[in-house]
Amino acid sequence: MAHYPEPVARLIEALQRLPGIGPKTAQRLTFFLLKRPAEEVRELSEALVAVKDRIVYCQTCFNVTDEDPCRICRDPGRDARLICVVEEPNDLLAMERTGEFRGRYHVLLGALSPLDGIGPEDLKVRELLARLDAGAGTAEVILATNPNVEGEATALYLAKLLRPLGVKVTRIARGLPVGGDLEYADQVTLSKALEGRREIS
Amino acid sequence: MALGKSAAVVIGSFPLGESDRVVTFFSRQHGKVRGVARAARRIKSKFGGALELLTLGELIFFDTGRSDLVRVDHFDVLRPFDRVREDLERLGQAAWMAECVGRLTAERDPNVAVYGLLLRGLKSLEAGVPPQRVAVVFGVRLVDALGHRLRVDACVGCGRRDAFGGAPLTMDVEAGGLVCAACASAVPGLLRLQSGSVAALRRLRGQAWDEAVGTQLGGAEGELRQLLDRQVALLIGQPTRTSRFVREMERFSGERG
Repeated sequence: MAHYPEPVARLIEALQRLPGIGPKTAQRLTFFLLKRPAEEVRELSEALVAVKDRIVYCQTCFNVTDEDPCRICRDPGRDARLICVVEEPNDLLAMERTGEFRGRYHVLLGALSPLDGIGPEDLKVRELLARLDAGAGTAEVILATNPNVEGEATALYLAKLLRPLGVKVTRIARGLPVGGDLEYADQVTLSKALEGRREIS
Repeated sequence: MALGKSAAVVIGSFPLGESDRVVTFFSRQHGKVRGVARAARRIKSKFGGALELLTLGELIFFDTGRSDLVRVDHFDVLRPFDRVREDLERLGQAAWMAECVGRLTAERDPNVAVYGLLLRGLKSLEAGVPPQRVAVVFGVRLVDALGHRLRVDACVGCGRRDAFGGAPLTMDVEAGGLVCAACASAVPGLLRLQSGSVAALRRLRGQAWDEAVGTQLGGAEGELRQLLDRQVALLIGQPTRTSRFVREMERFSGERG
């Protein structure tokens, strides 16, 4: 990058550190920004700084928020006895979009991953235990981690950890996606769907 | 554009871009192959749950020749090994086996012995053989198959065959085998092994797979696992990432009884 002016090279390098952005995309974004009006670029840089300055993790559920505790933890209309455990703040947003869940959340900020060397100490597991110990009368913990190796391992670990505490632990269902065709389902997904079948009332 | 086809085991993956996944396979015909599975992270992906870690399947890929990464076209599940993933200790040891294969082999270097070894290891884990024993039997055979066998018949320092009078014995992994007391005194931090562990290592090398995983190793199991961890760490230049997970899960299972 020796042939680029220093500020351009710096921006390309900074953009390259973002996930999913390689050298070519970083160059394309940099030259796109160079062509945009100065005001628009300033707005973008201010938005980036504001995110870092004003957004914190809620110290109860570890969702991202601009006020601690977050809007969901403060809401008296939500059932505090139900805790839905998710991996990332994006998963919480996905659950909220369903409009079905009226309890509270706990964001682990990751999942157990043997191949990445991520263990329970790297997640907000201790904080979840502290929440349950605090005597809020939790009736059910719903494990809504991803249905992949990491998410399943996390759910398995949490189930073993939480059951002795006498709290009901449930796992979200796994199986066929709505609108999918059975004939195209792989055998793992199909066997999980069969395992989780339930009686139609 | 060349079409490749082989039975293969998923030994790793990481997300790429919005919804793609880079998957590492260890295949029978082509050895280690890395490929991009387009849209694999979408709920309605054609790959479904097929690309999960440790799944054995029939891989079909296109090699454009322009990149190290192939394009994964199909991966039809032959055996999901899902029971291995449903237990944290089994998962940890299986992930360690997958990491060892992934990091100790080069891309596109077929090795049917290593492929067979990985399958035997996964089958034994699924059959309920104690996970650490499977990992030890697997590890001993893997380093042998890849040409890293440690010498246990003579001192690798001075070459003497009658140098190991008393227990415990000393292993110099970097030098490639056991060292006598005189040679060991010159090198700090060497691994001490009970003579029973060295005998178990010799025995494991000669036994058939089923016989090896069917034999209890007692105290040798932990020592040999420690030896393998040290040897693999030396070969790849750093400790395996899975070792920490394995230790934490063993401790957790121990606490839960």
